[in-house]
Amino acid sequence: MKNNAIILIGTQFFKKTFYTKGLFVLLSLFLAVLAYVTISGWNAYQASHHVVEHHQESSRKSWEENPDKHPHRMAHFGTFAFRAQHPLRIFDSGIESYTGNSIFLEAHRQNTANFSEASLSTGLVRFGDLNVAMLLQLILPLIIFFIGYASITAERENGTLKIMYIQGTPLHKVLLGKALGLFLVSSLFFLPSLLALWSVSFIENHTPNSAIVIRSLFISVGYIVFFMILCCITVIVSAKSTNSNKALLSLLASWLLFFIIIPKTAQVVGNSLYPNLSKIEFKAVIEEEVTKQGDSHNPDDPYFNAVRDSVLKANNVTDVKDLPFNYSGFIMSKGEKQTALIYNDQHKKLIKTYERQNSITDNLVLINPYLAIKNLSMSLAGTDFYTYTNFLAQTEKYRYQQSQYLNELQMKFISNKATSSEGKINVVDKSYWKSAPTFSYKYVSIVDTISNQIIAIIALIIWLLLTIVYITKFTNRFKII
Amino acid sequence: MYSLLIKHFFRSKTVWLAFGILMFLGVLSISMGKQFLNQKQATIAKTAEQQQKHIETQTKLYEDDIGLLLYYLKFSFVNPVEPLAGVSMGQSDVNAHIQNVSILNLEGQKYDTDLVNPMRLQVGNLDISFLIIFLFPLIIIALSFNILSEEEEKGTWKMITTQGISPFKFLLKKLSIRVVFIYIALSILLLLAKIVLGIPFSIAFLQIVIISYLYILFWFALCLFVILLRKSSNTNAITLLTSWLILVVFLPVLVNNYVSNKYPVEEAFAMTIKQRDAYHTKWDTDKKETMEKFYNHYPQFRKYELKETGFSWLWYYAMQQMGDDESKAERDAMFAKIQKRQELSARIAQFFPPLQVQLSMNTIANTDLSNYVAFLNETTKFHEDIRLQLYPKIFENQPASSVNWKNYKPIFFEHQNNFNMLKSIFSLLLSTLILVGLGVFRNLKYFR
Repeated sequence: MKNNAIILIGTQFFKKTFYTKGLFVLLSLFLAVLAYVTISGWNAYQASHHVVEHHQESSRKSWEENPDKHPHRMAHFGTFAFRAQHPLRIFDSGIESYTGNSIFLEAHRQNTANFSEASLSTGLVRFGDLNVAMLLQLILPLIIFFIGYASITAERENGTLKIMYIQGTPLHKVLLGKALGLFLVSSLFFLPSLLALWSVSFIENHTPNSAIVIRSLFISVGYIVFFMILCCITVIVSAKSTNSNKALLSLLASWLLFFIIIPKTAQVVGNSLYPNLSKIEFKAVIEEEVTKQGDSHNPDDPYFNAVRDSVLKANNVTDVKDLPFNYSGFIMSKGEKQTALIYNDQHKKLIKTYERQNSITDNLVLINPYLAIKNLSMSLAGTDFYTYTNFLAQTEKYRYQQSQYLNELQMKFISNKATSSEGKINVVDKSYWKSAPTFSYKYVSIVDTISNQIIAIIALIIWLLLTIVYITKFTNRFKII
Repeated sequence: MYSLLIKHFFRSKTVWLAFGILMFLGVLSISMGKQFLNQKQATIAKTAEQQQKHIETQTKLYEDDIGLLLYYLKFSFVNPVEPLAGVSMGQSDVNAHIQNVSILNLEGQKYDTDLVNPMRLQVGNLDISFLIIFLFPLIIIALSFNILSEEEEKGTWKMITTQGISPFKFLLKKLSIRVVFIYIALSILLLLAKIVLGIPFSIAFLQIVIISYLYILFWFALCLFVILLRKSSNTNAITLLTSWLILVVFLPVLVNNYVSNKYPVEEAFAMTIKQRDAYHTKWDTDKKETMEKFYNHYPQFRKYELKETGFSWLWYYAMQQMGDDESKAERDAMFAKIQKRQELSARIAQFFPPLQVQLSMNTIANTDLSNYVAFLNETTKFHEDIRLQLYPKIFENQPASSVNWKNYKPIFFEHQNNFNMLKSIFSLLLSTLILVGLGVFRNLKYFR
């Protein structure tokens, strides 16, 4: 029966707060916004899902409708990959507004992912994205601070803290009780939000390999831990402050610091410490590397001339026209392989630079629980940086596969005497377009997500333990009067 | 009286803390703006050299086939970054500043993005406009939420009212010290920005300064209004902070969400597929038909006739042109949607000062969406100019050396924004006046 006092204080705080008029107004506002955000987010997700599916199909259809053609024409006809969103983006849209949604995949050219939401939006988009996660990460903490800032100071100002102490309740139990009560109040806000998450999770459950239920589970636990930490911190700050005014000000100042200023500064500083190449510079590096190693488009290139000579030798012929396969198809497949390697190499370097830019934020996760929950939630919702680079990697892999498929067709079916890719002479049967590989985007596996975010998970656990240990061990010396 | 009030004001630790925060973040944001400008300008400075080098190597490689040469050759069109962009970066970090296009089908090239870390974009910029819109109001609230309630709570207000001086004047004096203090802080930062970022003393800069000052005044008016409701310090703090949260954090996000969900730009996908299909299908359709469409678009080239057999660049570039021509409906639909987004944003923004100020500053600094759209449209003209200059050379199959390549230097886009100062400050001024008026009117009997 030792913990009775904690539960008693907790439920008493909950009841008292529950019946204040302000809370009712706040809660109804919050719930109304939550409902709007969930419904509009869901509609937007379904619309975008539909749009992506429709355009993916229509672009594939026009690919398949091509008549008999020279394979290299098809290589430049190319395909589009449209980014399919993870259903949990309804909950947390992460960086989705800033990442390109469509990418054109053709032979020996790596295009950028274009038409991000932000590029088609007015400057208002820079204030942030509205989704359930934003309500939970930015707004609810403030609400918790507003509700809890006076939890201890008010008792002290009324003199009731003194009475409780005399009656045998040590201060740390009062704090734990208040934290529990505050947590119960905050659950009025976050439980409906998690309900929104779970309804998405159950209704969109059919999405293949999205691991949606496990993800939702991790998200739920993550947020619950996050709010426990916040409630403990609020109570500690309230207990440490000499009056309610100061408690409120300190809490607000730390909100500003931890939720706005640190995240912004960290990312901005990261970017200026590790600047990345602009697109023109990036292309110039690749071009330079290609000319260094050998340019398959240059008829006098020494590297590709050496390749030609060795092929001629191996097949015991003296002219490329006598080879048993189409020579230009062969050279293109070699060239594709080489440029793809160079591109991938440079692209990896670029992603590494981005990761360095993000590293400051990633390391700050340990001292800033907001960043921890932000990164964790974004990853689990499939809207984080890793998911995006993974999408790019998948498209590039597919692009390579498709180009080589067409090069093979050319080697196999196109006469070595063909001089042009035009007209109906040097063509491959259109049935081969249908059997070309299709792009199917795979979500990042849950194991990868968790292992990427292991620091964030550890950070949240450490913070929870630290705050609870702090309350139980170190608060008994706080002033009661 | 004034000197005592000023002394009292500067005794408070909050004042120095606020000043410190503003200066620290101000310097940080100015240096971020400087770095942003430097990076952009360095890239822009390099384009001329890169283009020259690029043309030299390519003309050497393909000197006897100008049609093939122009398949590879790229020309740069630059949207210069103005120093003011360092004050309000707006969308200029999202959208590309340099178009590097060949004379092929343009629609497949012009939406290519620059390489930017999406995490950076999501977190947003830390520029002076952010500081002014986001942080200054908080500092204003912190400095003035209790200037009346504190006196009442300490019991000093009664003493003031009995001393025979007008309590209203007294309150105004207290508030005016804070207004002057914040104005000085803001002026220091703007002056620093002007010097560090190298902003010329122009009308545009003046407009940004005026808008910033008026915006600050709006927040003081809101504070005055709440103060004159004569509630306790705690209530004032919570009321003001909630208004800040709603006006600065919540509403912008809500408005953006509403606008983008109301007008999803799915036409972008339709357009991009269409421009590909329209060009590529021409390989399999009647050549004469393609040529007829091309001649209709450019009657001046009718004199170049297509030879009966074999490949010809005339036909090839006519096909490329069809990609642009036949995706026009989708493209127009896409830009119409973007236009609708802009109009709706602007319409809603005029009721909410933070939104209005952000959009206005972006417009003045030429970092807004309309600047990007204008740049895209101008790229189309740039592309057409180059094509029309070079088409005859290709169609006549002249040697590459017949073109004076030295004339092909990067071209700079000049944008005249149609910013309407009066329109954008009207609602700001009006809401300020209404807030002050209402606050005073409610308390007329106390302030005789």
